[in-house]
Amino acid sequence: MNKRLIEIQKMLGDSHILISFSGRFSQGIIQELGEAIKEHMKNEDNPKNKIYNVFSIFIEQTQNINNYFAIKKNDIINEEITSSAIVCIGKSKEDYFIWSGNLVNNSDVHPLNEQLNLIRSLNKDELKKLYKEQLKKDIQPGQNGAGMGLIDIARKSSLPIEYSFEERDKSFTFYELKAIV
Amino acid sequence: MEQLYLEATKTTPEVNFNPDTKTLSIKGQSYPENAFKYFEPLIKWLDEFIVQVEDGEQMQLELSLPYINTSSSKCIMMILEKFEEAVEKGKNIVVNWFYDEENESELECAMEFKEFADLEFNIIPNR
Repeated sequence: MNKRLIEIQKMLGDSHILISFSGRFSQGIIQELGEAIKEHMKNEDNPKNKIYNVFSIFIEQTQNINNYFAIKKNDIINEEITSSAIVCIGKSKEDYFIWSGNLVNNSDVHPLNEQLNLIRSLNKDELKKLYKEQLKKDIQPGQNGAGMGLIDIARKSSLPIEYSFEERDKSFTFYELKAIV
Repeated sequence: MEQLYLEATKTTPEVNFNPDTKTLSIKGQSYPENAFKYFEPLIKWLDEFIVQVEDGEQMQLELSLPYINTSSSKCIMMILEKFEEAVEKGKNIVVNWFYDEENESELECAMEFKEFADLEFNIIPNR
C-alpha cells in the first residue's frame, strides 16, 4: 500500500468532506447518497429548508452528470467519461458544499462555460425569470433533462456557484462545479 | 371514468384518481432518472380524461410534493397547463397544494407554481 488509509482520511478531513463517491454512478447510488446526506443533516439538527436545498443541489448535479453520460453513451471512449465522475458533500463552518467533477469532451466546454457564466452573472430575480422560461418551454423528443438543473442549483445556493475547467488532453477536459448552501 | 393508481416508489410519487370525487392526487417526492418517461402516460391519460368531464363539473387536483427535481417540475407544469386549457374550455378545476409548514422551501415552491399557473390554486399546510 503506497498510501495509507489514515492519510486519505486526513486529506478528506482537511478538505471538510463528509461523503464522497468516485466512479461510475447510477440512479440507485444517487438515491442512496442523497438519503445518506439527508439523514446526516437531520442528525445535526439542520433546518428543513437547508436539508432540502443541499439535497436538491446534490440531485441536480449528479443527474446532470448522468444525463451528460447518457448523451455520450454511443461514443467509443464512453467508458473513460463515465468512470470519471466524482461527487463530494462537505461542511465548512456552517456552510455545506456540493462539489462534483467529471470529464467532458473538449468540444462541449465552450457552450457549458457560456451557460455557467450567464447563470453566475444573474441575480435571484433574473434566475427566477430564466427558470420560468425554461419551465414553460416545450420539451424536445428524446430530451432527458429539463435543461434547468444549473439554474436551479444557482437559485438554491447561498453564494455564487464556482466552476472550473482543466484541459486534460486533446480530447477531454475535467469540469468541476461547486455550490454552497 | 376509471380509477387510476400508481404506487409510490423512492423516487416517484403515488398517483391516484378517484372517479367518485373527480380528484387526481399526486403525492410524494419525485426525482426519477427520466421524469418525462414516468409522467408521459399520466399526461396522455389526462388528455382523454379531461374531455369526459362535463362543463361546470368540479374537479380537483391535489398535490403534495415534498421534493421534486427540475425535470419533474417541468412535468408538473405540463399537467397544470393541461388544466389551464381545460378551464379555458369551461371546466371547473381547483388545485390544492399541500406543504410542510416547517419547510419554507416547500412553501416557496408551491407559491411559484401558483404564480406560474393561471388556475384556482390553494396552498394548504399539512396537518
